[in-house]
Amino acid sequence: MKKWIWVFSLLALLTAPALVSAQMPTMESLIGADIRQTCPDPTNLPDTVTIGSLLTLTGGASVFGVSQQRGIQLAIAEINNSAFLGEGVTLEVIFEDSASDNNQAIAAMTKLVEEDRVIAVIGPTLSREAFSADPIAQDAGVVVLAVSNTANGITDMGDFIFRNSLPEASVIPGTVAGAVDQLGIRSAAIIYANDDDFTVSGANVFREAFEANGVTVVAEETYATGDVDFNAQLTNIIAQNPDALAISALAVEAVQIILQARAQGYQGVLMGGNGLNSPAVLQQTGADSEGLIVGAAWNIGSPNELSAAFKAAFENEYGNLPDQFAAQAYTGAWMIASAIRCADSTDSAAVRDALAALEMETPLGFFSFTEDRNPIHDPVVQVNRGGAFAVLGAE
Amino acid sequence: MDVLRSIGITEPVIQFMLVNALLGLSIYLTLYTGMFSLANAGFMAIGAFAGVILTQTFDLPLAVGIAGGAALAGVLAIPVGLPVLRLRDIYLAIATIGFGEVVRILILNFDPLVSGIIGQRVTITGGALGIKGIPKLTETWHLVGFLIAVCYLIDRLHRSRFGRAMAAIRQDEKVAANMGINVVYVKNVVFVLSALLAGAAGAFSGHLTRIISPDGFGFAQAVNILAFAVLGGGASYFGPILGAVVLTGLPEVLRPVREYRGVVNGLILMLVIVYLPGGLISFFPTRRSLQRLRRRLFAPRPAPPA
Repeated sequence: MKKWIWVFSLLALLTAPALVSAQMPTMESLIGADIRQTCPDPTNLPDTVTIGSLLTLTGGASVFGVSQQRGIQLAIAEINNSAFLGEGVTLEVIFEDSASDNNQAIAAMTKLVEEDRVIAVIGPTLSREAFSADPIAQDAGVVVLAVSNTANGITDMGDFIFRNSLPEASVIPGTVAGAVDQLGIRSAAIIYANDDDFTVSGANVFREAFEANGVTVVAEETYATGDVDFNAQLTNIIAQNPDALAISALAVEAVQIILQARAQGYQGVLMGGNGLNSPAVLQQTGADSEGLIVGAAWNIGSPNELSAAFKAAFENEYGNLPDQFAAQAYTGAWMIASAIRCADSTDSAAVRDALAALEMETPLGFFSFTEDRNPIHDPVVQVNRGGAFAVLGAE
Repeated sequence: MDVLRSIGITEPVIQFMLVNALLGLSIYLTLYTGMFSLANAGFMAIGAFAGVILTQTFDLPLAVGIAGGAALAGVLAIPVGLPVLRLRDIYLAIATIGFGEVVRILILNFDPLVSGIIGQRVTITGGALGIKGIPKLTETWHLVGFLIAVCYLIDRLHRSRFGRAMAAIRQDEKVAANMGINVVYVKNVVFVLSALLAGAAGAFSGHLTRIISPDGFGFAQAVNILAFAVLGGGASYFGPILGAVVLTGLPEVLRPVREYRGVVNGLILMLVIVYLPGGLISFFPTRRSLQRLRRRLFAPRPAPPA
């Protein structure tokens, strides 16, 4: 008798999620509405369309990969519930983990391309994984849409490699120009980790952007990832008395740099790249980061109504607020679906052409690709006002 | 082949297995001589960067890249080995970890260093960005051929006077010295051989992964290499090869279990270490255990008492 109770409760547990999803009403989503207008309902698609997603779900960078996976899953649920690819057509995603390891990224990409025969891959999370794994998809003629790679040269790997993540080279110049425009800075210093490709390329872009805007770089200091004491470097910088201090760092080090710079009495403008684009940085630095200027591809307080809808849906589904990684991944999944809808085909080359020609409203703003498959959309220049990012100049 | 592919062992995975087998053999040599050295990741980095720079910047064929990478690692092993190999056990391990870090940080800061000396900005190792866009020149048959050649040489080494000296030093260094073995010489030569192998493996892997950056050759990689030898078992040179094959293949085979992959992977490794202290190799019969088995099966039965 007891055994039966166990079996029944197990069955109930297993079927409960299936029942819930079966009761979900079909609804039109806000995002993709413009694509529904421009591209007719597809008729040539099979019942299941399979794409892949190569993310770093374990290992050192898993915090980004997990956020991206949630964004993609949310988008896929919306796409299938709104029958975006036509009645009875299901978009399926095969997630593979790269474990933040180049070799595993290569193996996983090979599996997706050669075994699962997906028509497109979203990912990989890290730029170095992309440099290892993307050529496999390019050689096989499978579309890759990067949703977080910001390094130079990602899309140079081939005509099947796209990205919707604004590279630092597109975000930082706008940040610097905005700061110069609004605050009239004339001299600046740069501090960055010299052992991380992301922070090094960020520092290079800062240097060029300062020069382009007529700002003199009076000091440059470096540190190693994992350092906790930046007082020596900051003393050198403050001795030069720059109007602004550009921090090209990841969030953990950025917090200490901000706190220690203010503790040494630095009064100038602080600005940073994507690494500082995190609510955690503001929380942990408190009043010290008031006025911090950070460029970003996406701001949670964006007035864009698709962005607001995404934020609400994400919070409803997962119980926490999305970050930029989730927003870009969510947008990426919708873009792939839109390209499949417009191509009305599961042929990778047709999807590639449709993706290259895609123009749509997204949570990131109005989106299209450049000739070399890099993203075009407006970055936002954010400023910390009382512990939250606001859009600079909009207040 | 299709059976392997269906469980996730695709050609790139086999290639990484072969490269890791070379790395496992490189640490096997030092362990066999009783030296607990973790310098292999550092020598691998030297081989990878030297090899890739030879084929990329100087446009030389892959064979030259491999030979050059291995040779540079081997040559640098001499000045490193002479002072460091005076240490033993855990002290040697710590010193060689230090060597690995020195290599990593030197490669990281190589460009500003050289730029400062020659007075103009140059890009050689690419700093933290590393070198990307490396063509995939390494083929599976290169690796198979190289591995077979290395196995043959190690087999010959074991049967030579030098090989017996290596084993003697592992068992008792002082006794070996008393027997007239030049311990310093043997240890240093083995250290150089190990560096040569690691350097060659690094150059091969650089032409597989298409991008190399200093952070791929840190402490974590040194521990990975050690794991190939420990998990596989040091009873014969087949052990580290087996260890490399299993450690590289297991995460791929386990892809179907999704988010539990890391847990299952770790659990299997733990079980192996606990229940097979001799390593995976103890699954396989040695020549001696085969002889024992044969003796037991075919031994003449004692005649029943009359």
